[in-house]
Amino acid sequence: MTAAAHILKANALGKQFYEPERHYVLQNNTFEVAEGELVSIYGKSGSGKSTLLYILSTLDTDFEGELLINGTQIKGQSQSFLSEFRNRNIGFVYQSHYLLNEFNVLQNVLLPALKLNTHSRAELTEKARTLLTELGMEDRLSYPVYKLSGGQQQRVAIARALINDPGLIIADEPTGNLDRKNSEMIFELFQNICKTRNTAVAIATHDDKIYNNSNKSYEMIDGSLRL
Amino acid sequence: MNIKSIKTNLFIGLQYLTARKKQSLLAMLGVLFGVTTFIVMVNFMTGVNDFLDAAVFEGSPDITISPQPDLNKVMDDLDLDLMLNPLYDLDKIEDILEASPNVRAYSKQVITPAIFISQHVQLPGAINGIEADEEKKLYDLDKRILSGRGFESFSEEGNIVLGTSLAKKLMVKTGDSLRIIIPNGNEKQFRVSGIFSFGITTIDNVRTYAPAETLRSLLEQEELITNLHVKLRDRNNIEIKETLLNRVSKIGVEDWKDNNRTIVAGNKVRDVLTWSVSFALLLVAGFGIYNIMNITVVQKRKDIAVLKTIGYKNTDIVFIFLVQSLIIGIIGALLGAAFGYAISYLISVTPLQAKDFIIVDTYPVNFKGIYYILGIFFGILTTVFAGYFPSRKASKTDPVNIIRDI
Repeated sequence: MTAAAHILKANALGKQFYEPERHYVLQNNTFEVAEGELVSIYGKSGSGKSTLLYILSTLDTDFEGELLINGTQIKGQSQSFLSEFRNRNIGFVYQSHYLLNEFNVLQNVLLPALKLNTHSRAELTEKARTLLTELGMEDRLSYPVYKLSGGQQQRVAIARALINDPGLIIADEPTGNLDRKNSEMIFELFQNICKTRNTAVAIATHDDKIYNNSNKSYEMIDGSLRL
Repeated sequence: MNIKSIKTNLFIGLQYLTARKKQSLLAMLGVLFGVTTFIVMVNFMTGVNDFLDAAVFEGSPDITISPQPDLNKVMDDLDLDLMLNPLYDLDKIEDILEASPNVRAYSKQVITPAIFISQHVQLPGAINGIEADEEKKLYDLDKRILSGRGFESFSEEGNIVLGTSLAKKLMVKTGDSLRIIIPNGNEKQFRVSGIFSFGITTIDNVRTYAPAETLRSLLEQEELITNLHVKLRDRNNIEIKETLLNRVSKIGVEDWKDNNRTIVAGNKVRDVLTWSVSFALLLVAGFGIYNIMNITVVQKRKDIAVLKTIGYKNTDIVFIFLVQSLIIGIIGALLGAAFGYAISYLISVTPLQAKDFIIVDTYPVNFKGIYYILGIFFGILTTVFAGYFPSRKASKTDPVNIIRDI
């Protein structure tokens, strides 16, 4: 465990809000995520865990302290650089409704890969097909996504997060809208991903089961992470 | 942005466009209607303008030089002056005309008032006495001849050529004889050798041609030249008018604008109307697209946030949404041009009865390629403008705010 390289390093990460009055939502968060590690962040709503997640996903660059992902300093980078960086290095899974309804299952999964554009469309399609098959979605490839169940949608979202082989997946309440059975299945998927692909997963969650079964579990209390 | 990401963005844009077919179709119909109207109006209005120009200006001199009546001349009450005023300084005028590169041709005229007496009718009017060789260079009369012959008939003595409306009023046709009395009391029997039509009654009602020499002997004024008619290469450049007025005294110079004010004004009004109505229509089409794209961008905020988080840049987002209005614009404009052509064609074969002013079988319509190019160009330009602002708005979407909201 100690030998593994770090995919993410945060040093004294903090963030202030200025409205309605100046206060810290995040304060002095120092932590690391190793390659292939599953880290969960537990916290009540409003505790600041979503805010932390936006910073870790490089969408919010207005923070204090230092953030390194895959050895790259995130602070001070241009939007254009960060777009490419996210595309290549970070996968995203949100609560269930973040698929694009105008596109079918396969097309949704292809979107990040088409942007990265390192392989031909045929190769990428084959890769997406394999990925979806692994996730048990092989018979839904050309389905419109809005016709899928919540658990199925989330599996498509995970396939989309994995298509560019990122070192880090960030998941914001990925089981928030799912029933018990589907929640467990999705969590197992994440555990598998960490093991087989050596991809780190950071999950913000309310779910005790996830919290108790992660490699590392943090609780967010008043803007600070505690182990 | 490289070719591959253009392909990707085009794919995404098309997917959105086809997902809301009805809206896209409506927006496209807006552009189609705008471009169609633009092309039909421009074709028709410029057609009318060109037709009137051709009818009036091809049959009339661009510049008319005439002697200024001498108002100080002492005149006996009883002894009315029946002599026509000649152009003095003719050599000087001719030198100026010869020297000007803008003068295409000029023709010396003997213009006298006259009374036409046919078998049935008597009418007052005027006759243009001309040298056939000179006048030929001004007007292509042979193209305008309805019956009989044109200027070449003047090689025989006693021939006269009339405008068709005048001939109708006098109830004469080619071969009939026509008696002419001029102010000094002399008269002569002519034979109608040809009838012409310039297609416009202001000319066809009055114009009469006879050989200058015949009129001179009737007038008993040898070597008489009363007017000079000038045709210019560039009608809009009438510098020569100033030159003549400055350098030659006792002459009057009129240009085509003086003589055709109503037509010039009419052309201007039609031009302003055409362009303003056409652009207003394109603008309305543009607003339609602007509206639809704005609504789309608001509806698709979530999608935009997702695209941005998974790595699509601001320029990609602009492209994805702009390409949608661009496609609407291109298809709408091309179809609009086709419809514009079809409707213009239908107008051009519609019979027109307007014999009082102009003589024409069908509506005059222009078919110039440049109007189609302009219509398509402006049609597409409007949609690009209308699509750009919503697209830029889309690209400015902050994914954090949207993900937080939902």
